[in-house]
Amino acid sequence: MSDKRWLMLVVVLSLLVMSFAGVRAQDEAAIAAQPCDEPGALTMWVWDENWALVIGSAIEAWKADYCPGAEVELQVQPWGQYWDLLKTNVAGGDLPDVFNMSQDRFFFYAGNDALLDLQPYYDEAGVDTSLWGSGMIDPYRWGEDGDLYAGPVNWDTIAVFYNKDLFDAAGLEYPTADWTWDEFADYAAKLTDPEADVYGAAVYSEYQTGYPNWIAATGTTPIVDAGRTQCTLTEPGSIEALTYLKDLYDQGYMPSISILGGASADDSFNFWLAGKVAMVAGGSWKLPAALEQATFNWDVVKLPMNPETGRSRSIVHSVGYVASAWTEAPELAANLILYLVSDEGQKFFADAGGVAPANPAMQERWVESFGETGVNIQTFVDALQDSQGVTVFDEIWDKINTELVVNIFDLGMSVEEATQQACEFIDTQLPQ
Amino acid sequence: MWNVFLNQFGRTPLTRRKALWGMALVAPNVLGLMFFFGIPVLMAFATSLQQWNAIKPPVFVGLDNFTRLAGDAAFWQALGNTAKLLLLTVPVEIFLALNVAIMLNQRLRGRGFFRTLYFLPVVTSTVAAAIVWTWIFQPRYGLVGNLLAPLGLRDQPWLTRPDLVLFPIAAVTVWQRLGFDMVLFLAGLQAIPRVLYEAAIIDGARGWQRFRFITLPLLSPTTFLVIVLSVISGFQIFDQVYIMTARTTRGGVGGSATTLSYFLYQSAFVQSEFGYASAIALVLFLITLGVTAFQLSIQRRWVYYEAGER
Amino acid sequence: MNVQAAEQPPAYTDLSVPLKIVTYLILAMGAVVMVMPFAWMASTACKPPAELSTLPIRWIPQNPACIENLNRLYRTSPNFSRYMLNSAIMTVGRTLGQLVTCSLAAYGFARYAFPGRNVIFALCLGLLMVPFQAILIPEYLLLRQLGWLNSFAALIVPGTFSAFAMFLLRQAFLQIPLELEESAMIDGANPLQILRHITLPLSGPALAAFAVITVQAAWNDFLFPLVAANTPDTRVVTIGISLLQGERSTPWNLLMMGSFLATVPMLALFVMLQRYFIEGVAMSGIKG
Repeated sequence: MSDKRWLMLVVVLSLLVMSFAGVRAQDEAAIAAQPCDEPGALTMWVWDENWALVIGSAIEAWKADYCPGAEVELQVQPWGQYWDLLKTNVAGGDLPDVFNMSQDRFFFYAGNDALLDLQPYYDEAGVDTSLWGSGMIDPYRWGEDGDLYAGPVNWDTIAVFYNKDLFDAAGLEYPTADWTWDEFADYAAKLTDPEADVYGAAVYSEYQTGYPNWIAATGTTPIVDAGRTQCTLTEPGSIEALTYLKDLYDQGYMPSISILGGASADDSFNFWLAGKVAMVAGGSWKLPAALEQATFNWDVVKLPMNPETGRSRSIVHSVGYVASAWTEAPELAANLILYLVSDEGQKFFADAGGVAPANPAMQERWVESFGETGVNIQTFVDALQDSQGVTVFDEIWDKINTELVVNIFDLGMSVEEATQQACEFIDTQLPQ
Repeated sequence: MWNVFLNQFGRTPLTRRKALWGMALVAPNVLGLMFFFGIPVLMAFATSLQQWNAIKPPVFVGLDNFTRLAGDAAFWQALGNTAKLLLLTVPVEIFLALNVAIMLNQRLRGRGFFRTLYFLPVVTSTVAAAIVWTWIFQPRYGLVGNLLAPLGLRDQPWLTRPDLVLFPIAAVTVWQRLGFDMVLFLAGLQAIPRVLYEAAIIDGARGWQRFRFITLPLLSPTTFLVIVLSVISGFQIFDQVYIMTARTTRGGVGGSATTLSYFLYQSAFVQSEFGYASAIALVLFLITLGVTAFQLSIQRRWVYYEAGER
Repeated sequence: MNVQAAEQPPAYTDLSVPLKIVTYLILAMGAVVMVMPFAWMASTACKPPAELSTLPIRWIPQNPACIENLNRLYRTSPNFSRYMLNSAIMTVGRTLGQLVTCSLAAYGFARYAFPGRNVIFALCLGLLMVPFQAILIPEYLLLRQLGWLNSFAALIVPGTFSAFAMFLLRQAFLQIPLELEESAMIDGANPLQILRHITLPLSGPALAAFAVITVQAAWNDFLFPLVAANTPDTRVVTIGISLLQGERSTPWNLLMMGSFLATVPMLALFVMLQRYFIEGVAMSGIKG
């Protein structure tokens, strides 16, 4: 092992210790799977074939090692229709026993008492739920005692992907993790080259990769507060972040949504892959695509710090497993979920690469699964430290994801007016 | 009693027998349709009197959903958008499809090839269509932007500006339905007996006259079919909104691209207001039914049936 | 029949050369727009990952990867052929079923007066006027009640009834001169025999249109099969393709390869059937 790698490992380990207080000794599992009381039959829903492959092999191992005789009918649904199908089934009084859940959708199902409270099962198995970062699991808490209703499968964080070749061409040093918004703006200006049709940056896009990260860095909870009681877009922190981004856009350092071809993170990222923009905000889930598709040299770096707060903050999102409140085999469903979030179950995710497993004991294994890439993948693990959990929910998703950014970054509406409009709508959707 | 009932079927044994045959012939399809689609439609209409989020038990609310609908600006906007799209698409679509079908009915080299090309949109994947049409209207690198550049219309945000977005949606609607209508028109053109044209040529009728006095009237049953179907589907434009706005505003800034069926979908599956969504469906149904009934009632003024129907 | 007909002179006089050139020009211009999305689909199906996000759009891949993408598609979705087969079963079942139910009904509506005929016809058309999203849940509940979820019965049986095909065939039957049918009736043929031996054979182009549209609609049906029968054994190809797209990743080349494979049978069918959109031979000799 080279000195550099050795040093990195030390950094990794110390960061892990810092971010997850109470990490266990190496030979003891952070979360241990347990044998099931009584085997039975479960139905389970997941989206997309790749997940089905990974989860399918994990379930096989569970059946072999912890619950012989159990049957799991694993059903794959298309991601694009997953939530519509779930509502169709729930309308018929059917819900799969175990299914994948997203933080912005959790609210609806938990609020209508459709989900099984997993807290008693975690307590019984002696799982210390504080082991997962709060941004990862707080959105899955419900009820007066803040019981945890989900098992987190994975996490993803946001960082800046940058095109090294364009930095070299402009004669610029590569950015480092301690950079600030001012430096970012400076880089964006210097990297913009209208004649070559190259933009400096594209970082404002939809919710998870876009402007909410910048709002979070000011210390304001983006869009709505954690209790879903009020819209925060008109607060000074939100205005500050959006105004900063709009300035970059107005100066011509960032392309408009029409030029990008869409408001989604994918549109910005594809623009970056095409070599048309030097710096893009991207999620950890984009690593496989970037490794496979980029035709230039690149690396990732933390989001820049807000100069006043000194904070660089990433939105963190975690897909969870939940169980139906109406399942006939709650013990078994909880046992399967416990296995899937345990060290053993999470190995399948760590080794598959791409999806970062939620279990903190698996972080290093996940980083290593990419092999020798020359890319600072650890950046995404580091971004977990001061991360911001998801607070938005389904009913306002489209509006804040697309309309707000289109108004500001395509149609030229002022930040004040656009946020005012968005808040007026969000207020009508907040639970009373 | 029985006789009174039977008498409705006609006064002579022959007409009575014909009526029974008619009912027997239509029975399988009509009963099948009523069972597999009529029942769900009735269930949906019943839901329009309820408040229901799909999880909690439904609550009967009478006509509340309808009074709310009447006062909902978003509903009127969606209705307006739907009407605008109908006016933008149906005439253009029928005009183009008829012309393409007539051109492709000529003895032209490679007409089979061209027919296939015009049919392609019907089978092209919606996702691919979404990507390419977004690109076509992309202001910087797109086709439309570059074509309109000489007019100073480059860099127009076609897909996001509320006053422009319906045009791309109309374009993709026409694009998608053209091949479909063409198939129907081609079949209709073939049903016109050739001898009529031959006779007309002998009588010295010019091309335009032949078109006006033979093709148009004899094609009218097909034209009627195409108009009725495109109006019905025009009231339900959904995919096209998705195609053009999925990557930008999902229904347009301030609902500027939201059609009735898109509004219905959002009410149901995004807002979880299934009663309200069903009320929208019922209103949409009644409007479409009214327009279609009107078309059926005026058809005898312009639709020519060989067998002298009705 | 088509061979014979192809040799017949066309209904119109031949176009003059300038008119022909104009016609070709117009057709070609329109065709470019018609083809573009399809071309993108085909070219993306053969792109290696590194060429997926080039700007401006690259229409012809520099390093075509058709075979690799095909292999990768089958690696991600090993049952893809099975999905195609399921789609074929569903399509054939629905089309044959509709051919029977809808031609009978169309014939009944076109030729036989009975009480309430117009109302019943309008009611059937009315079913086309409710967006499917509105009846998604009731449809699911109905199939569940029947115990048909995840079965081929759910995929096929409801689809054997159609208001659209009935309307299409009714309009076509109404274009056929009555005299022929009447003479057969005098000879003592019953309505089924007349339909089978006279009306249907005279409706060649309309039946071709029916086939193209019905087959295509069944093959591309997505929402109904998704609600009715999405298990590995009954999954149809449209769902199979959509499963390739994840929440976080869209493998465009595989997605387009799948779409392309699913499109090929439809195109082949159209190329075959479009030859029937030439004048019906029998028709030309009838009236005069």
